[in-house]
Amino acid sequence: MGRPRRYLRFPWRSSSRLRADLDEELKFYFDMRTRELVEQGMTDADARREAVREFGDVEYTKRYCLAEDAMSRREERRTDLVAELRQDMAHSWRTFRRSPGFAAIAVLTLALGIGANTAIFSVVNGLLLRDLPYGNPDRLVRVWGAHRDSGVDRSQLSAGDFIDLRTRQRSFSALGAFAWGGGTYIGSGDPVRLSGARVDANVLKALGVRPYLGRIFAVGEDSSGVNPTIVLGFGAWRRVFGSDSTIVGKAVNISGRSTTVIGVLPPTFFFPTMAEAEIFTPLDLTPVLRDVNRTRKFHYLGVVGKLRPGTTVTRAGTELKGIMAQLERDFPQSNSNMTVATVGMRDAVVGDTRPALLVLLGASLLVLLIACANVAGMLLSRAVSRRQELAVRAALGAGRARLVRQMMTESLVLAVGGGAVGLAVALWGTRALVASAGDRLPAASQVTVDATVLLTALAVSIASGVVFGLIPALAASRGIQLALKESGRGTSSGVSRHRMRTALVTGQLALAVMLLVGAGLLVRSLVGLQKRDLGYSIESTLTFELMLAGARYDSAAAQDQFFDALYTRLAALPGVVAVGGSGNIPMRGGAMASLAIDGRPQPEGRLPEVGYQPVSDNLFKAMGVPLERGRAFGPQDHKDAPPVVILSESAARAYWPAGDPIGARVRLGPNPNDPWMTVVGIVGDVRMGVDGESRPTAYVPSRQDHWGGMAIVMRTTTDPASMLPAVRREVRAIDPTIPVSDAYSMKQVRAQGLTDRRLPMQLMAAFAVLALVLAAVGVYGVMAYSVAARTREIGVRVALGAQPRNVFGIVVRQGMGAAAAGLTLGLLGAAALGKVLTSLLYGVKPTDVVTFVGVAGVLLAVVLAACLAPARRAVRVDPLEALRSE
Amino acid sequence: MTKPPIDLLQGTVDVLILRTLAWEPMHGYGVARFIRQRTEGVLTIESAALYQALHRLERKKWIRAEWGLSENNRRAKYYSLTAEGRRQLREETATWRSYAEAVFKVLEPV
Repeated sequence: MGRPRRYLRFPWRSSSRLRADLDEELKFYFDMRTRELVEQGMTDADARREAVREFGDVEYTKRYCLAEDAMSRREERRTDLVAELRQDMAHSWRTFRRSPGFAAIAVLTLALGIGANTAIFSVVNGLLLRDLPYGNPDRLVRVWGAHRDSGVDRSQLSAGDFIDLRTRQRSFSALGAFAWGGGTYIGSGDPVRLSGARVDANVLKALGVRPYLGRIFAVGEDSSGVNPTIVLGFGAWRRVFGSDSTIVGKAVNISGRSTTVIGVLPPTFFFPTMAEAEIFTPLDLTPVLRDVNRTRKFHYLGVVGKLRPGTTVTRAGTELKGIMAQLERDFPQSNSNMTVATVGMRDAVVGDTRPALLVLLGASLLVLLIACANVAGMLLSRAVSRRQELAVRAALGAGRARLVRQMMTESLVLAVGGGAVGLAVALWGTRALVASAGDRLPAASQVTVDATVLLTALAVSIASGVVFGLIPALAASRGIQLALKESGRGTSSGVSRHRMRTALVTGQLALAVMLLVGAGLLVRSLVGLQKRDLGYSIESTLTFELMLAGARYDSAAAQDQFFDALYTRLAALPGVVAVGGSGNIPMRGGAMASLAIDGRPQPEGRLPEVGYQPVSDNLFKAMGVPLERGRAFGPQDHKDAPPVVILSESAARAYWPAGDPIGARVRLGPNPNDPWMTVVGIVGDVRMGVDGESRPTAYVPSRQDHWGGMAIVMRTTTDPASMLPAVRREVRAIDPTIPVSDAYSMKQVRAQGLTDRRLPMQLMAAFAVLALVLAAVGVYGVMAYSVAARTREIGVRVALGAQPRNVFGIVVRQGMGAAAAGLTLGLLGAAALGKVLTSLLYGVKPTDVVTFVGVAGVLLAVVLAACLAPARRAVRVDPLEALRSE
Repeated sequence: MTKPPIDLLQGTVDVLILRTLAWEPMHGYGVARFIRQRTEGVLTIESAALYQALHRLERKKWIRAEWGLSENNRRAKYYSLTAEGRRQLREETATWRSYAEAVFKVLEPV
C-alpha cells in the first residue's frame, strides 16, 4: 500500500504551493544561518544581512529552483498516471483471478459477439464493399435481355440486337459480348474438360484486364479464322498446364484443334457472372449474323459495357431501352416485348447473395448487441456487489475520478481480452465461412480478414468496454457514502439497478427470439426444399457430363454412334437399372425454344417459348419421369426419320386445353423452314433447379438434334458414386480423348444447388443458438443476483411458513415474467422484420405459425432451465441464517 | 595563511551533496554546514549554488525531499538519498578517484 503515504507526502502540488514551500525552505536557512552568526558575536541585523550576502543570488536561485520543481511535478504526474494504470491493471487481473468465471464468461461473450461479427463483416466486406478485380468497376455495367410479357429480366441477347445496340449507343466507351464456351484439353494425360467463355475483344477491354503473361485479344481478332487462339485463366494455367511460364506462343490441343496460347490472366481475375470460366476464346458473331433465322431469335449473348465518364447506369439503361423499342417496331416478329435491363457490375456479381449477406450482417449485429448487453449486465451487478470494496478504497484516499478510472480499466481489460479472443474467433470463422461457401460466393478468393476489419472489431470492443464500464462506475462511485453506512441491503438504487438489468435481459431475450424465428424460418424453408417432389427421382442416380470434341464428331452419325455405344456399355454394367442422356439435367437449367403449332394462326408478336431438351431413348426411365400418354422415343426416331416430339404435361395442358396433343404437329425454334414435328407422347412435369417451378417443355430425340455433349443420367441399384470408376473405364474404352466431367450423384447436385440457401441457414442457426445461450447466461445472471439480494426476504417468507414450492415459484415466476415480456417483444419484432427474409424463404410465410410457436416453446424451456439453479438455491435458504446474517 | 577559496564546478557540488546525504537525511542548511565543517573552509560553496543543486538533484530523482521537524522543532525540508542517487554517488566517487590519481601521477611522480 505505497499509494496513501505518497498522497500524504506530496500530492500533485499547485504552483503557489511550490512557491510557498520554497520560501519556507529558504527562510529556514536564513533563520538558522543568522542564529549561527549571532552566536559568533554579530548583531542580529548584521548577521541577517551577512547571511543574505554570502548566500549569493537569491532571486536567481528562487527562479531556478521553481523551474526545477515544476519539471519534477510534471514528471511525477506522468509516472503517477502510468503507475496507476499499471496498478489498475494489476488490480483488475487480481479481481479476475478471484472470480475467473466472471472474467471468462465476459471475455467469451464479447469474443463470440465480436468474432462472429468480424467474420461476417469480412465476407460482406470482401463481396459488397471491396473493389472487383476490374479497372473502374463502378463504371462497368451488365446488360441483360428482358421480356416485358413474361417478367424475365435476366436473359441473353441476340447477336443482331447486340450489334445494333453497340453501333447506336453513345453511353459506353466499350460494349462487348460473350457466350458460353469451353473445351477439352487433350494433353499427354487424361483429357480435361475446361469451362470457358467465348469473348469479343471489347469484353476484356471493358473489364480493364491486364494479362499476367502474354497479351489479351485485340479488337478485330474476333473471327476465329484459320489460327485459333486462346487466353488461359490463372487457375487453368496452374492446374492444367503446371504454371508453365513459357506457355505463351505454344500450341495446345483444345477439343482436337491446335490452338495458340496468347496470354494468361492474373490470379485475382474472375469472369463476371460466369466465374467458373477458365479458358477464353474469341467470339465470332459472323455465322449467326449471316443466318437470318438466328440473327434476332437466337438469344445466347451476355453483354458487358464500360460507361463513358459522366453518365450513369440508369441513363445508359434508358438509352439502350430506347434502341430496343426502335428494334421492337422494326422487327416485331422477333422483338415484340423485348427490352434490356442494365445492372451495375457490383450488383450483378454479388447478385442474389446480397439479401442473404445483409440479413446475416443484421443478425451478427443483434448477437453483438446481446453480447454487449450481457457484459453490461454482469458489470452492473458486479459493481453493486463491490460497493463495499470501492467504499474502502475511497476512504483510503482514492478520488472519485480515480475509482471511475479503475472500473473503466477493468472493463477495458475485459473488452480488449474479448477483442483479442474475438479476433481468433474471427480468423477461424472467416476461414470456415469461405470454406463452407466454396465456389458459391462469386469472389470468395478475395475474402480475408483485413486491417479495416481488425480495427473495426477492436473499436467495437473498446467502445463497448468504455460505455459499459462507465455506467456502473459512475453509479458505484455515487453510492459510496451510502455503501459505507449500510452493507448492501436492498436500497432504492439497488432496486433501480436491478430493474435496469431485468430490462437488459428482456431486450436480450427479444433479440434472441428474433434470431430464432429467422433461423427457424430458414430451416423450415430448407427442409421443405429437401422434401420437395421434383417430378423425378434423385435416389441412387449418378449424373455426369460428356462433351464430344474433335473433328471426328462433326457428323451427326459419329455422335449417335458414340452415345449408342455408351448407353449399351453402361446399361450392361452390373447394378445399372437404366441409362439416358439429356441436353441438361433439370437441376442445372436448360434451353428454351419458340413453339409454333400447325393449323393455328401465327400470333401478332413473338411466338410463345417453351423449355427445350434433346433426350435419349431411356432418359425418362433413368430419371423416373412418368410417361403419361403415347410413347417414349426409340431407335426408330433416328436422324433421318420423321421428326417427333414429346411434351410435358403442363405444355399439353397449356396449348391443348381441351384436346389431345398426340398426333398434333409443332415447330420448335425460329426457323420457319424447319419441318413440322409430330407429338408422340406426354410425360410428367419436372421442376427446374432446386427451388424452381416446372415449365411447359418440349423434348426431342437426341438423335434428331445433336448438341455434341450430353448430361448422362444413370439409375443404379447401388451407391451411385461407386459406379464412377466403371463409367470412366467404359468411356475411355470408346474414346480416350473424351473426359468425364461434373460427375455427381443427383443428391449431391441438389445439395450443391441448396448451398447458397444452406449457408445462410446454418449461419443464422449458429447466431440464434449463440444468442439463446447468451440470453440464457443473462437470465441466469440476473436471477442468481436477485436471489442473492433477496436472501433475507426469502428467509422471512420461509420463517412465516412459505413452502419450498412457493419459494421456487417466486423465482421461476420472476424469470418467466422477463421471458414472457422478451418473447412478446421478440415475436412482434420478428413479425415486423420478417419481410426482410422473404427472398430467402421457400414455401414458408415470414409469419409462419409453426415457427413462432416452436420458438416460443424453445425460449420458455431455456429460460426455465436458466432459472432452475437460482430457484433451487432460493429453496435451500436457511431462514435462521438469512436473518442472523443481517 | 588565508588562501582564496577554490571555486567549484557544478558536478563537484552535486557529488559533494550526494556524499553528504549518504550519512543521513539532512535539510539544506545542514548540508551547507556539514560541507563547510568537513572542508574546513577550503571549499566554499555558495549556498545559492547548493540550493539550486538540491532542487536539480531532486528533479533527477537522485534525492528525495520530505517535510520534517528540525532539531529546534521547526518545519524543515529534509533531503535523503534515493537508490538511484546512491548508485550515482558510487559512480561519481570512482570517477573522482581515478581523476585525482591521474592528476597526482603528473604532479607528484613516484
